[in-house]
Amino acid sequence: MRRQVPLILCFVFGIVMIFTQFIPHSLSQGLHQEVRQWYFIIFPFALVFSTIAFIRTHIMRIRRRTEHWRYSFIIFIGILMMVVIGVPFGPQHHVFEWLFNNIQVPMDATMFSLLAFFIASAAYRAFRARTLEASLLLVTALIVMLGNVPVGDLVWNTAFSWLPWEDATSSMKQWILDNPNLSARRGIILGISLGVISQSIRIILGIERSYLGGGD
Amino acid sequence: MLEKLMSIDRRIIFILVALAVILPTLIPVSMPISVSEPTQKLYDYIETIPAGGTIMLVFDYGPASLAELNPMARVIMKQCFAKDIRVIGLTLYAVGTTMGSTLIQEVVEETGAVDGEDYVFLGYRPGPVLVILGMGTDIASVFDTDYNGKPLSEIPMMQNVTNYDQIDLLVDLSAGSLTEAWITYANVQFNLQIAAGVTGVIISQMYPYLQTGQLIGLIPGIAGAAEYERLIEAPAKGTLWINIESFVHLLIIGLVVIGNIAFFIQRRREE
Repeated sequence: MRRQVPLILCFVFGIVMIFTQFIPHSLSQGLHQEVRQWYFIIFPFALVFSTIAFIRTHIMRIRRRTEHWRYSFIIFIGILMMVVIGVPFGPQHHVFEWLFNNIQVPMDATMFSLLAFFIASAAYRAFRARTLEASLLLVTALIVMLGNVPVGDLVWNTAFSWLPWEDATSSMKQWILDNPNLSARRGIILGISLGVISQSIRIILGIERSYLGGGD
Repeated sequence: MLEKLMSIDRRIIFILVALAVILPTLIPVSMPISVSEPTQKLYDYIETIPAGGTIMLVFDYGPASLAELNPMARVIMKQCFAKDIRVIGLTLYAVGTTMGSTLIQEVVEETGAVDGEDYVFLGYRPGPVLVILGMGTDIASVFDTDYNGKPLSEIPMMQNVTNYDQIDLLVDLSAGSLTEAWITYANVQFNLQIAAGVTGVIISQMYPYLQTGQLIGLIPGIAGAAEYERLIEAPAKGTLWINIESFVHLLIIGLVVIGNIAFFIQRRREE
């Protein structure tokens, strides 16, 4: 029963929601709108469950003294601070906004900024023209990198001012994006879309059951 | 010598990157910026929207991407407010709520736009696809109030806005795959005109949609933000940052070229 009920619900709602997309009748659209409202009600429960799971994971880390377990305390302090301010006063409260703008924003931005350093180091080590494919990738990457910043055209227009092609690096970059990139992306999109359709059918028909857990 | 050139210590590379960022920040350099076609298309489209028109500006990003996407949001809002186009701000990304609200306040202080008349910020609702579909039928069924809790029915600029039929353009500023959700559900099902501003890493994903016309324009990364600042003749952070990025790109290209020259010389010697 624990497995049959979710499978039946998934099948019924999957089929019904697909049909509502193709039936413009007011009854069908009303049903669609009603089920959408259910989602907005169900979502906060999912949030509560995920928060409980998150807290339990970190309590276990502290109990078992696993590696870096002390950082779990920082997580609890962070959650507590945001909940104490955010839940009763809302995210519009100036203290919540201050905490967000002065703690979360700089920390998140800093983490992402570190990528610049690692990408520079990784590009230097990995971009070697060892094979024809690697050489093509290397040349393409260099053109796109140069074409994506104003210095590319500046260097070209200064060094090759005697040539008839102005702003050639940005033009070449645009050609790469418009042609080989576009063709490859379209193939990828078609592949992903077919995969999503077939996986959705498998889930609705109950063939794919991994979302139920338990290793099925 | 060749060995050293092929394996420069990463700490040296980190210091060089830091210098390539810090020096142009301290001594700003100005370089000519050429405007790409996707950016020009978006600018031109907004120029064609008559005064009193409405656009939706979606902040689908978090603090990690604000360096690239905040300048785009600023320029679009400035262009719209200058042309008397109303802006409905919202986000499908929980972290985007406070960011969007703060950014709108900053632009409003510069432009003098009025809350409820020139702009409204709706905030966040969970479930991206359902929010997109729901607004196609009735915006108030998804966002019954604005971010500050004011019912939409009491907001002057929302009096004649029910669903996407009254929206001239939606601009999705995204650091992920939400632009594709907007295209799939809002453009295909409701024929809503969509443009996007995206981070550098997902620019290439957007090109198939540009070619089909499902995206009427695109602001590609910080370079696009700088291009847009040039179009509205208001150079700001986008212009500053793309010039800084130029030096980092030059450094990386230099390092890659040096590494490859050393690699080829060594391979030739081994042969």
